[in-house]
Amino acid sequence: MDPYSVLGLRPGASDEEVKKAYKTLAKKYHPDVAGNSPEAARRMQEINAAYDQIINHKESYSSGNAGYSQGYGFGGYGSGYGTGYGYRNAGETGDPIELRAAVAYINARRYAEAITTLGAIPREKRSGRWYYLMAYAEAHTGDSVGALRDINTAISMEPGNATYLAFRDRLSGRRVQYEDWSRNFGGFSTGFFPCCFPFFPCCCII
Amino acid sequence: MFGYVLANGQALSNEEKAVYKAHYCGLCRVLRERYGQKAVMALSYDMVFLEMVLSDLTGSDEESGTERCVPHPVKEHSYTVTGFTSYAADMQMLLGYYSLLDKVHDEGKGKEAEKKMRELLPSLEEKYPRQCGAVRKWLEVLGENEKKNLRDPDEMSLIFGRLLGEIFAYDDTSFFRDDLKALGCALGRFIYLLDAWCDRKKDKKKGSYNPLPDGITAEEMKEMLLDAAAAASDSFERLPLDQHVFILRNILYSGIWTKFKEEKE
Repeated sequence: MDPYSVLGLRPGASDEEVKKAYKTLAKKYHPDVAGNSPEAARRMQEINAAYDQIINHKESYSSGNAGYSQGYGFGGYGSGYGTGYGYRNAGETGDPIELRAAVAYINARRYAEAITTLGAIPREKRSGRWYYLMAYAEAHTGDSVGALRDINTAISMEPGNATYLAFRDRLSGRRVQYEDWSRNFGGFSTGFFPCCFPFFPCCCII
Repeated sequence: MFGYVLANGQALSNEEKAVYKAHYCGLCRVLRERYGQKAVMALSYDMVFLEMVLSDLTGSDEESGTERCVPHPVKEHSYTVTGFTSYAADMQMLLGYYSLLDKVHDEGKGKEAEKKMRELLPSLEEKYPRQCGAVRKWLEVLGENEKKNLRDPDEMSLIFGRLLGEIFAYDDTSFFRDDLKALGCALGRFIYLLDAWCDRKKDKKKGSYNPLPDGITAEEMKEMLLDAAAAASDSFERLPLDQHVFILRNILYSGIWTKFKEEKE
């Protein structure tokens, strides 16, 4: 099913519309409102999966690796909470066995566990794919420094890999996007109003 | 905590400023109610940001009113309290305690206050075992690295980031747990780096630890901060926020640079 129609939207609705629609529906099916009905829980899962699919769809940086995945993510989407939008399971992706657990964690958005699992693989067995998965997990836990370091290692191990290059582009793209946004908010420079009580935490500084 | 995560007031409309201030005053009010007048000293804009993100994310109900308070005894002002104000207040006290403890260790000041504040810990531990455990664990790692004089700003700021990430992830079962964690982590990195930058001269004079290498330039510093800020915005933009998103973006894309701009080379 089309994720936009799950949220009651026309295809291609803006992110802002998606977020608004998600919130309205999430409130409606929240256990506090809907009680513990299995139907509401099922709807909530669908809504979450649809939201995730739309908002994270821009991250189609796995697509270059045609054998691995369809569109985005790591080939598997059925594992975590999703009701399945036709994505294959992580086990079928052709990853070497020692990486499958990490891939499964990433698909379930359990990035901290993915990092731990990857970290347990001995250094000499770390492939370009290992560094890519590590970089991906790191980027999703807020460690952009580690992510850039590891994706660079992945690229140096497998120079023409389109997936790795696309992922590095996306990491640097975040910077450009941030700076664009920043200009819209009056830039980095900002004045500080004097506070009526020096050294006292006070609402007057704004 | 540090108070680096605040809005750029000049780029907010009067209406937005009023909303932002009301959330600040709401947190202040709850701190006073729960922990007494002195707790206000722990108040910071960082936790106002957290409260506004979480209440927007969950569509929490708001309760507004007007009050007079000690710093503003004459002029009545409005406040807004949401379902996350008390969470933000509790986290503020948790972080406030450890920053006070740090001060006692470093400067030998505030022993009495530390003893008093320590009494709050058992109830916080009981209520938030995961957050309290993470704060203790990561502060311990930071402390060990400081002792070793590890001057690696990337590694050190990431440790503080992990700590703040646990605090941002208010509920371990939330669908947005990982985005919140990543947002907290990236913001934590930003805060830690900026704090090190602002303290570097003082630390040098006193011979205290500072994670930044000697002679780091403002340009190099800005690069590191920008990387952390961009990572924060990446997670932030995944969250379904709509109610206060303009104010929150103002903070994330402009306000957080205030103290970096003030602090000249």
